[in-house]
Amino acid sequence: MSFQESRRRFLYQNLVGVGGIALMELLHRDLSAAGPANEKPLAPKPPHHTPKAKSCIFLSMLGGVAQMDTFDPKPALKKFDGMPMDWSKHKKTDQPALFAKPRHLVASPFNFSKQGKCGMDVSDLLPNLSSCVDDMAFVRSVQADNGNHPAAVFQMNTGFIMPGNPSLGAWLSYGLGTVNQNLPAYVALPDFRSIPFSGSQQWGSGFLPASYQGTVLRWKGDPIRDLASPPDVTPETREQQRELLRALNQEYLQKHFTNPDLQARIDAYELSYRMQAEVPGVLSIDRESPSTKEMYGLGDPVTESFGKRCLMARKLVESGVRYVQIYTPSQSWDAHIDVRKNHLKNAQETDKPIAALIMDLKQRGLLESTLLVWMGEFGRTPDTPADQKTKGRDHNPGAMTIWFAGGGVKAGVVVGATDELGLKAVEDVYHIRDVHATILHLMGLNDMRLTYYHAGRNRRLTDTGGKLIHQVVG
Amino acid sequence: MLRLGFVAVLIFLGNSAAAAEENAAVFQKRLHPILHTHCFSCHGTTSPQSNLSVSSLEGLLRGGKHGPALTPGSSQKSLLMAYLRGERSPKMPLGGSLPDTVIQELAEAIDTMAPISVPDVPGDGHLEWLLHRPKAPGVPAVSKVSWVRNPIDAFILAKLDAKNMTPAPAADPRALIRRVYFDLIGLPPSPEEVSTFVNDRDPAAYAKLVDKLLADARYGERWGRHWLDLVRFAESDGFAIDSERPTAWRYRDYVIRAFNQDKPYDLFIKEQLAGDEMKDKRGADKDSAERLIALGFLRMATWEADATSRQQLRQDFLNEITGTTASVFLGLTAGCAQCHDHKYDPIPQRDFYRLQAFFAATALDERPVPYLDVENPKVLKQRCRQHEDEVEQANTELETRKEALKQRFVELKNLKPEDPAVAEFMRELNVANVFFQEREDSIFKEPVWKSYLEAKDNLRRLSELGKRYQPVAVAVKEVVPPDVPALPDTYLLVSGELESKGEKTEPGFLECVIGKTEPAKIPFVGSSSGRRLALAEWIASAENPLTARVMVNRIWQHHFGEGLVRTPSDFGKNGARPSHPELLDWLATEFIDQKWSIKAMHRLMLTSNAYQQATAHPEWKSYTESDPNNELLWRMNWMRLDGESLRDSVLALAGRLNPASGGPGALLETPVDVAEGFEFFKWFPSEEPEQRRRTVYTFQRRSVVNPMLEVFDVANMNVSCSRRNLTTVTPQALTLMNGELVQRESRYLAERLMREAGPQPDQQIDRAFLVALGRPPSESEKGESMKLLKKLPAPEGLAHLSVVLFNLNEFLYLE
Repeated sequence: MSFQESRRRFLYQNLVGVGGIALMELLHRDLSAAGPANEKPLAPKPPHHTPKAKSCIFLSMLGGVAQMDTFDPKPALKKFDGMPMDWSKHKKTDQPALFAKPRHLVASPFNFSKQGKCGMDVSDLLPNLSSCVDDMAFVRSVQADNGNHPAAVFQMNTGFIMPGNPSLGAWLSYGLGTVNQNLPAYVALPDFRSIPFSGSQQWGSGFLPASYQGTVLRWKGDPIRDLASPPDVTPETREQQRELLRALNQEYLQKHFTNPDLQARIDAYELSYRMQAEVPGVLSIDRESPSTKEMYGLGDPVTESFGKRCLMARKLVESGVRYVQIYTPSQSWDAHIDVRKNHLKNAQETDKPIAALIMDLKQRGLLESTLLVWMGEFGRTPDTPADQKTKGRDHNPGAMTIWFAGGGVKAGVVVGATDELGLKAVEDVYHIRDVHATILHLMGLNDMRLTYYHAGRNRRLTDTGGKLIHQVVG
Repeated sequence: MLRLGFVAVLIFLGNSAAAAEENAAVFQKRLHPILHTHCFSCHGTTSPQSNLSVSSLEGLLRGGKHGPALTPGSSQKSLLMAYLRGERSPKMPLGGSLPDTVIQELAEAIDTMAPISVPDVPGDGHLEWLLHRPKAPGVPAVSKVSWVRNPIDAFILAKLDAKNMTPAPAADPRALIRRVYFDLIGLPPSPEEVSTFVNDRDPAAYAKLVDKLLADARYGERWGRHWLDLVRFAESDGFAIDSERPTAWRYRDYVIRAFNQDKPYDLFIKEQLAGDEMKDKRGADKDSAERLIALGFLRMATWEADATSRQQLRQDFLNEITGTTASVFLGLTAGCAQCHDHKYDPIPQRDFYRLQAFFAATALDERPVPYLDVENPKVLKQRCRQHEDEVEQANTELETRKEALKQRFVELKNLKPEDPAVAEFMRELNVANVFFQEREDSIFKEPVWKSYLEAKDNLRRLSELGKRYQPVAVAVKEVVPPDVPALPDTYLLVSGELESKGEKTEPGFLECVIGKTEPAKIPFVGSSSGRRLALAEWIASAENPLTARVMVNRIWQHHFGEGLVRTPSDFGKNGARPSHPELLDWLATEFIDQKWSIKAMHRLMLTSNAYQQATAHPEWKSYTESDPNNELLWRMNWMRLDGESLRDSVLALAGRLNPASGGPGALLETPVDVAEGFEFFKWFPSEEPEQRRRTVYTFQRRSVVNPMLEVFDVANMNVSCSRRNLTTVTPQALTLMNGELVQRESRYLAERLMREAGPQPDQQIDRAFLVALGRPPSESEKGESMKLLKKLPAPEGLAHLSVVLFNLNEFLYLE
């Protein structure tokens, strides 16, 4: 065993935890030795405790979904429909402009009914998801800090409202590595009709090394940028180029064997060839049965974008990818003008594919080891500006409903409650950082111990720590 | 034996460090919320009466005038509990008492802590060293005087001598010229420059080469980029709207010029912090214009233009500039003291707000600043006029198409033109497209709609372009009486929260540096608060113990790959210890003696034998065991080309690098998944020749990072970057093998090789290696390369060979 190996083994065995290692690196910079580039940053790492889930699929409902039109029925809104909303008790808003004008309460345009054995209330907006409620765990009392899209999307992904911090997927890749070294650990699947605010920063690694950043896979054309050889390079030429590159790099390595980075870079090329061979196969949907394709809504232009990406997510998770995040178009659920029309459109695009994803994972025995998280950046208000012709709902960081499925969560539970109007979470209130802490926990990581030393202190996804949503964890 | 001792140290530190982490976690989760609610109004920062701060675990452990307030693991022994229970007087909180349940919770939390004290490395004297002005240490005596070219070598060799180690042999001249070219100008030498240097018998040949490169205008483009990393240079606001800062390039050019002119570093600091407040002795307009442009430094932070709270936005700006100023110039993480006293360094929270008070009267301002002669005013003015004309035409065109759209709408809906629905439709055109998402209307499928959008885009493109040529500087101004009733007050913010105003603070320098707690006294003399200038003069002073050390360390870091302090923006207790403190001090005093000349520092470092060492060492095996990170510098560190040098070199070798310097940045052609889908702006690539400019001249939009540069670890534009990551990841291989840049430029390189080497494949191969690597191929390399050319003759075969050369380790790594 070389000195470096023994050192690493020692650290892993004795400190079992990434935070510990980061701290050791700090205390003993001289030990980081033969260059971090030489270590495989994405090699699987031991978790802090036995994980319930091996992979996570995060379904981001950009724009913010109205809780009172989906999973949190508010009969009072029907009763008070059209009545002026009294904001006097809620003066402390971060969006004064939104609430400057008189506002009216708005009843949900959708009807709720009890679903599944657990009797969960779901509106008729989501007929397909209604049949999956016994596999889901709902939290009706999640709060965000900011009612502004860009800041709130950052918070959903990185825990902070300012840019520059690592995203959840980057923290997971950093903390756990990944089992399939031929595929990225962290895949982002945005909708190219409209990508999230700040683009790649949403799946960036922030101050973590770039190895942990998300890789965007596209659902049309080449899935990974520059994955395929250029069309005018024949396979024979490409093979010759690779041979020549290998030969020249080997000759150089022999002269300069003291530089470990050279070998790491040779390895990266070998991996790129394997990825070229493996990724198209993993993502190929040709082998999927017609019924699977139908189930995800492929072939229907309404569901195709989200459906294809849900199917990709299943296939990636099946192949060992650690974290996949799917996005609806930027601000898609942002129903200021007409909540009925807007939510109907977005539900039609996502309801069937998401239900298919749950059922498909289940039938393949993957649901237990795959954690699904569904949420937007905030919830929506129970009211609309009085002078508006159509009825919409505005941003509301005070309450949103999110749900988990699979990954060992306690299925069929409903956690927390909002007030009579659905304006504010009042019971078992949880913050976004608590959602993050819970996800990390289910994946085998302790949010307080998952640290990275940066700019003077140990940083965390949850900053000074979140609390577990214990009702969901079980 | 040595290794055993080492492991023992690890175990000891490992456990106590892990325990300290756990204690910190307990503090954050269980103690902090209670203390925050009940104690912070007096003890949120070091309280003047008791000298106790309870805002951090360290504060409690350090304690106040009665000793440590907390004994981890024992609530019984903790002074804090004695005061809360009223066992000691006065009972806390003053004039009240906490509910028993709360006291019980605190006690339980303390009892669960691991019984260890402060994880303080006792008495390593680091802060004493750091916070005192460096004195030039004597140059040490060494074993091998012949190796000492200048005092740097003596300091390096003395440390090696002490460990019985020897420096590496001198680098091969070919390796050396490549190293110094990339180091100083970020581009490779031509084959002719290599052979001239290698064959030059003049002992001063290398020194002359260094001088030549320092005088090369491309030096500023390379070294300016290092500074731009630090100041988080970008040409847009960031966040969702990510508005352009159309003339931010003037600051970028200012930085490049400053390096090329060897502007004294003290002046460079003052101009960037207080260019508007400097008294202009010569009174020349040129200087005052230059200094206003320099203020761009204060404007480089992100800016959430649509933030819901303007007050918070202002506070974010102030926090950012306070933290960045401290880390860039002083190498201190003062930003950590925004919410509580610094947990490691002696920076009380009060000092953070004192520093912030220097910026209290500073407001953002787009200032009209005439073009400088060096900025090529003739061309800029001409472009400015040209774009104005174009914008006018585009506007007319848009109106025409809008009218066509209106007509079609009227037809389609069978309406009268004066119907209110028509006006409503036209009004909504100006609203962000998102509102249209919710409307499904057949008009959006009509050709008139597409043609309208095209005209709108064209107008948008041209007006954006035009704004980049306006004689405006992205700068700041002072807002002072009589325009406002008084200079704004600065308050300490408890926990950093805007709603929790604490004591009022005056501008003041860091007490740990000046050794006293009084605020700075800056008389207000009118027109400007004079505060930023006072701060700049304090920073840019020979008396300041930090400024010169931090900067010479940054210069060293870029020459040697690592700084003498390896955490270049954190010299504090939590940062790395200097490997050669005496050398750092010697360089710092030399820097000041040389009138803060950066180029003088380059000359010193580059002409040292330490820099000219090879990367290999005959004793590498045993040396790697004892000094795996090469802290003693027993060999030269390997370097890898950064993203900019890589892209620039590919273009340069293909003979296609556009050498134009300065002016508005070029927008690179960017894949749609990166450049499209934004709501508030569109990415319009510049004309082709513009796109072949050096990377430092490419447009830096925060939301659109060039994917090739991104995978090669370019600086994150949102925060100050003092040291780039160095990752080796698969997408790097993909982009260099299959990406557009290398594929395209390889064809041009092939053409160049054919022009220069003629039709013979073996001569083409010779030339290819000389151009790309600065050396001829070996026999076996030639044989292997020939296989590719035999199959596919030039130009295809040569282009394929060029792709391979761009992918070689030897191309990317510098010996």
